[in-house]
Amino acid sequence: MTTPTGHRLPLLEDDGWSRRHVLQLLGMGALAACQPPREPILPYTVQPAGVVPGKPQFYATTMTLDGYATGLLVESHVGRPTKIEGNPDHPASLGATGLQHQASILDLYDPSRARLPRRREGPAGWETFVREFGPLLPGAGVPPPGEGLHFVLPPTTSPLAASLVDAVRTRYPRAAFHFHAPLYARAADEAARAAFGQVLATQRFFDRATRVLAIDADFLGTSPFGVRWSHDFAQRRRVHGPADDMNRLYVVESDLGLAGAIADHRLRARPSEVPLVFLAIARALVRGSPRAPDALRGALERLPADLPHAPWAEAAARDLLQHAGDCVVIVGDTQPAEVHVLAHALNDLLGNVGRTVAYTPTAIVEAGEASFGLEPLLAAMDARAVSTLVLLDVDPVRDAFADDRFGARMAQVPQTVCLSLRETATAKASRWFLPGTHWLESWGDARAFDGTLSLRQPLVRPLYGGHDALEVLAVFAGLADTNPWRLLRTLHQRTGAAPTDATWNAAVQRGLFPGTAFAEVAAAFRADAVAPAVNAMATRARPGGIEIALRPDPRLHDGTFAHNEWLLELPDPITRVSWDNPAHVSHATARRLDLHEGDVVEVRWNDRSLRIPVLPTEGVADDTLALTLGWGAWVARERDVVGTDAYPLRTRAAPWDLAGATVEPIERPRPVGGTERVRVELASGQPHIDMHDRPILLHDTLETFRNQPDFVRPHDDRRPSLYGAWTQHGPQWGMSIDLGTCTGCATCVIACQAENNIPTVGRIGTAKGRAMHWLRIDRYRLGTGEDDVQLLPQPMLCQHCEKAPCEYVCPVNATVHSPDGLNEMVYNRCIGTRFCSNNCPYKVRRFNFLEYNDYEAETPKMQKNPDVTVRARGVMEKCTYCVQRIRTAQIEARIERRELRDGEVRTACQAACPTGAIVFGQVSDPNSGVAALQGLPHSYAVLQHELGTEPRTRYLAHLRNENEEVPA
Amino acid sequence: MDTRAESAAYSKAVDEPSVLLTRAPDAVLTRRLLAPIWVGGITWKVLFLVTAGGTAIMALAIAYTVITGIGVWGNDIPVAWAYAITNFVWWIGIGHAGTFISAILLLLEQPWRTSINRFAEAMTLFAVLNAAMFPVLHLGRPWLAYWIFPYPSTMQVWPQFRSALPWDAAAISTYGTVSLIFWYLGLVPDLAAARDTAPTLLKRRLYGIFALGWRGSSAHWNHYRIAYGILGGLATPLVLSVHTVVSFDFAIAQLPGWHSTIFPPYFVAGAIYSGFAMVITLMVPIRRIFGLHEVITTRHLEAVAKMTLVTGSIVYYAYAVETFLAWYGGSEFEMYTMLKDRISGPYAWIVWIVYGINFVAPNLFWFRRIRRSAIALFAISIFINVAMWLERFFLIVTSLHRDFLPSSWRMYLPTFVDGAIILGTLFFFLFLFLLFLRFVPFVPISEVKELRHELAKEERELAERAKEAAHGR
Amino acid sequence: MPALFPRWSNSALWGALILGVAGLAVLLLAPMIWVRTPYDTHRLHPLDQPVLFDHRHHVLDDGIDCLYCHYTAAVSRTASVPPTELCMNCHGQIWPDSPLLEPLRRSWFTGRPIPWRRVHRLPDFVYFSHAPHVNAGVGCSSCHGQVETMALVFAESPMQMGWCLDCHRNPVPHLRPLDRITDVNWRPPPDQAVQGLLLQRELRVAPPTNCTGCHR
Repeated sequence: MTTPTGHRLPLLEDDGWSRRHVLQLLGMGALAACQPPREPILPYTVQPAGVVPGKPQFYATTMTLDGYATGLLVESHVGRPTKIEGNPDHPASLGATGLQHQASILDLYDPSRARLPRRREGPAGWETFVREFGPLLPGAGVPPPGEGLHFVLPPTTSPLAASLVDAVRTRYPRAAFHFHAPLYARAADEAARAAFGQVLATQRFFDRATRVLAIDADFLGTSPFGVRWSHDFAQRRRVHGPADDMNRLYVVESDLGLAGAIADHRLRARPSEVPLVFLAIARALVRGSPRAPDALRGALERLPADLPHAPWAEAAARDLLQHAGDCVVIVGDTQPAEVHVLAHALNDLLGNVGRTVAYTPTAIVEAGEASFGLEPLLAAMDARAVSTLVLLDVDPVRDAFADDRFGARMAQVPQTVCLSLRETATAKASRWFLPGTHWLESWGDARAFDGTLSLRQPLVRPLYGGHDALEVLAVFAGLADTNPWRLLRTLHQRTGAAPTDATWNAAVQRGLFPGTAFAEVAAAFRADAVAPAVNAMATRARPGGIEIALRPDPRLHDGTFAHNEWLLELPDPITRVSWDNPAHVSHATARRLDLHEGDVVEVRWNDRSLRIPVLPTEGVADDTLALTLGWGAWVARERDVVGTDAYPLRTRAAPWDLAGATVEPIERPRPVGGTERVRVELASGQPHIDMHDRPILLHDTLETFRNQPDFVRPHDDRRPSLYGAWTQHGPQWGMSIDLGTCTGCATCVIACQAENNIPTVGRIGTAKGRAMHWLRIDRYRLGTGEDDVQLLPQPMLCQHCEKAPCEYVCPVNATVHSPDGLNEMVYNRCIGTRFCSNNCPYKVRRFNFLEYNDYEAETPKMQKNPDVTVRARGVMEKCTYCVQRIRTAQIEARIERRELRDGEVRTACQAACPTGAIVFGQVSDPNSGVAALQGLPHSYAVLQHELGTEPRTRYLAHLRNENEEVPA
Repeated sequence: MDTRAESAAYSKAVDEPSVLLTRAPDAVLTRRLLAPIWVGGITWKVLFLVTAGGTAIMALAIAYTVITGIGVWGNDIPVAWAYAITNFVWWIGIGHAGTFISAILLLLEQPWRTSINRFAEAMTLFAVLNAAMFPVLHLGRPWLAYWIFPYPSTMQVWPQFRSALPWDAAAISTYGTVSLIFWYLGLVPDLAAARDTAPTLLKRRLYGIFALGWRGSSAHWNHYRIAYGILGGLATPLVLSVHTVVSFDFAIAQLPGWHSTIFPPYFVAGAIYSGFAMVITLMVPIRRIFGLHEVITTRHLEAVAKMTLVTGSIVYYAYAVETFLAWYGGSEFEMYTMLKDRISGPYAWIVWIVYGINFVAPNLFWFRRIRRSAIALFAISIFINVAMWLERFFLIVTSLHRDFLPSSWRMYLPTFVDGAIILGTLFFFLFLFLLFLRFVPFVPISEVKELRHELAKEERELAERAKEAAHGR
Repeated sequence: MPALFPRWSNSALWGALILGVAGLAVLLLAPMIWVRTPYDTHRLHPLDQPVLFDHRHHVLDDGIDCLYCHYTAAVSRTASVPPTELCMNCHGQIWPDSPLLEPLRRSWFTGRPIPWRRVHRLPDFVYFSHAPHVNAGVGCSSCHGQVETMALVFAESPMQMGWCLDCHRNPVPHLRPLDRITDVNWRPPPDQAVQGLLLQRELRVAPPTNCTGCHR
């Protein structure tokens, strides 16, 4: 791993090898066998150091989400970043990635990114900007300098950003900095201030916890720390034998999240009920523990006797008490401060602090400061006290609270500067607009959740000539040299993080400065904080009418990724709906309100209203409407607005949970007279979730497993076969997927899409059932009833059957068996009879019904993986076990005259998986990890008993750790 | 005693309408049967234009499909086969009656085959032509369809012979070729007749070329008989083999509802069943329009109706057996498809229509009055044609849309293009048939004349015996 | 009634029949033959290049090893046409002002690459890699022919799948010691059958004949 110095853009520069590759991607491959391309060979004039044409390189860098760093390795083919992997050295990644990390590579090449800087009067270059804002601002009221100069940034953990903020402040002492991100959990900061007298970050160690209580917290899904937490959680979830222990997860939430879907015990509670249930648990805990502080005990005992779901709460509490000290109580970012305070109190009570929970300084710059949020800015704007407003990588016009009326207020500001990746609503409303940079295009730094200082190095020059927010700050700071790399280098030389070039290069190579994590802080919980919190919780809860739960979107986060085709087409990890964000409602409530899937309803709350299609779905609390934020962007591919923007419902008073709303289906006159419901067809990735008692996703309780470890055996016996075995030589490949630790986060799906050049088919295509995902996450409903059910995930990909039904029906030998046990798919031989798909019991084959690749747009081609053919219209395709990686590794090994090492070949899905549920390797090698897993008693192959396909992909049955004391 | 009375007496004696009522002399017969070739009517012109238009629609739909990709159809995953294959199986099925009549009935020496075998064969040819389009058209990359044939390619890759599709290609092309030759050979004497009676020199020359210098010498007739017999023998097994192979396209797969050993006989019976239905659909109007009641008599209607009854019953038996086997076999997937999805699933209404029609329609033929009523026959035959198309549809789609993993279950909805193509092929079929009626003697003149002589002989003998009996008393 | 056709029409008919059958045969065979000709495979067809580069001079006269310029052949998928920089290593001193080298100098000073014309072409779905071949004892000349004798380089081999498979199925006749990979004078020894076998054993040469060996 070295720095990609001197790298230029293949398509802008005449960099032949990439050109050759880019053309290769055009996958004339699948078409023009007869006439290969005659394009010229354009070698480098001066070849960059370390570059070997035809071989990819990996560079360590860092991506931030809500300001927090995740270390990544980016695969680059002669200057083109094509694929993102996790950085094993980085605490937030440990080698894995999240959905957004995988998908963000696509945003880099998005043709709809902003390209031209402009002043309202018309086009104006970066130089003009520097000339206008570099010198001391005349308008900015001198003295004192900086009066009326306001900046809005996203919450940041970047020391460089902090230093530049200081630099600006030294020049403009009165300049004000505000930090805005719609999902940033300020409640947690307030709670920490209340509970400990200082703003602290709470660190949870799920790998040490045997019991977890999550209150409205999808800590495996939408949390910015989801990747690391999923990894830690899985450490205690993995069961390989009857002796192994297993953690137990309790979830109380209103809308089904990833954690809730696999929880051992989950309680559906309306948003207004959630705090009350939490109080019930707290009271049960207090009653069960003599050494509970009186303040806490008193506050809780003062509560009314009848708290909802008391039996459930007490059962859970008993269990937690039995595991006091090795359990975790976690509260979601969507809960108000007082709930967080109570969580601190309970972790303190249970003695978890210092064992499964710890406190460190927060990495967020200026977190908890009075000036942190937008409120001071709004006041200043109303007082006409803002002369210049600089908005960097933020879009408050769209995602600030609706009652902030940011757009209207901003319109009164004489001078507004906006920098962002796209022409956002804020950009359109500002006088100055500057195209921003993608994180792969610029230097920078950031801190991970635990404070680890991470470096962001660019892999390409800005595709569309954008500039980084840091540069803008540098301009305002009046620095002569605004080059982020030099700023970064000098800063860390000054701070002593990287005194020498050696340390610096080492850090750049690893993507982080080792040992820079924050030390834990011994924070004493203030007993006096709990009483007001408990009272606030008890009083705040005021149910009524339909309650609305606004939640972060598992795919688009806060809307940052609203233009990402991969994420838009990805079926929602829970509801399986793609290209839309319908409002979730429970089946019972849907029946009561006579609502059906796709009905467009008018949601009214106070004076605000919204039109959105509804989706009756599992696990939603009754009388509750769950909406996800971040949708409603205009997407070029669809030439339409995709999804519904829920921000207009969001107010400062009620940022997450809205009580007392009404829901009305919308009628429209029928042409033939009368009226009809306004409906939209939701593009579902999986219409059926009933398993019909078929042995597909095998599951049982931990008890059953302990009594009968091989309970899956009856479904996994080898059947006699008329066909003989294949001639097998060389390594035999296979995969094991642990349904016990799979959270269904679907990161593997996007990783596969990025690695294998899988196109998107659009909303209509998905609705028709033509989505191209080689790897999909099936969800099956467990348990009786509609609403109180489990939705278990099962990654489904080509099973690489040894007796493959697809192979013998292909008339042209386009899908055949390899000696190393792969079920090969040869695109260039396929004529598209689709017989193989008909005969595939797992329906994992995907067909190019139309030409899904865009041959016009130049930049998206650059993302394509040159090691994988881009499939043209009319050919079948499917998972190949990332055969390109296998063959490359084999060639390497052959050249080095050695055998392949176990774990040397990692499939894209395996590498991305945060919980390590997917393990790939040589089943022929008894010492390999995959062989061990496939040998476990609860390892089975889907439908092996029924069809005798003898798949190479095997699953570990899902186990749940039930507490029989908990009432069903 | 005049000939009409004789034949009437004969019919009475054998208690069946004669297969040939006319007793006109050869020259008259020839003139009458060739008349449609020399004098075209306005009706023909109109119909010709209409069907030509319909054919154009088909051409457009096909061009659109090939240029854009089969994504313009309703197919998806899991339902990767639908209309195209349905049409294919339906047409190839229709293409069975022709050869069955001309070949098998020839070997069985059924006199009633004579008047209808010619256009039945033509029907076969055109149906096979339509059918053969679809296996190519439904490919993702039709321009590479030739990879399915074994030939020494520079890739050193061969087709896979374990798949039923190469068998299909072989079976259909063989069947098409043999049917064509069989049909043309039978035409030769009549083409000669047309040549000899053609009004203009040009027409005489044209028909002359195709008549291959036929002079009707005893040597010609001798060779002709031998060749015709051999081809009949060749065609007979093909009638059975082709649809057997077609049925393998489904039977070798392991999908519930496809994976069944009864498919070959089931498909062959169904094919002949639908084929005879189509024969009726064409025969009745032709007989009416060209006033051929003397040549195509009630006897033909009845015979064809009986064939339909027999084959229809076999088909129904197959329905029963495959459903029984699903239950008896005990595979949960089979049982779901056959006993749940088809009976009560989203496509159940189609299944019930098919079961209904295919039960009622043929069983009506137990009644002699219905067997002998041209109108009734025509109406019923239309129903059967539709039912048999729907049968293939649900056979293919219900098995695909809900197979093993419920997670992949989906519906299939046809598109406008799907409809345009099936409709277009119908027009194309009629278009070709009209051309055939206009330019080729569609009733085998020589054979009819021959038949007339044989019948006359029989009748005369019969009459003799009757006289003697009278004298004897 | 006069005869409808003249006497010769009989022979004409026969002729037509024969022609028809023959035509059909040609229709089937012609393409199969065509794709095997150098015209279709673009073999033996020298291409003009932007720089008058002569392999004969560089290889035979100067004795420069193939891998000096095509230095990634042993480690990477591509053998790589060298960057201008590498040419200038020598030509900075040798013939620094030869008019023949004008395009080279232009590229060097403007930074614009030299647009070499592609001689060996493979379809994009073929993932050929030089490295494993070079390391398995397959010499340059085995596929590229005697480049040292070519004024302008042309493709020696058809580079069709069948041609690849011939060697992948039986590499023995083409294997040579690793130290002679770039040796232009290497010719199979009389006992190549034995030598090849020994090399195959020693280098553990097992060329893939399954699809994903080359198509991914």
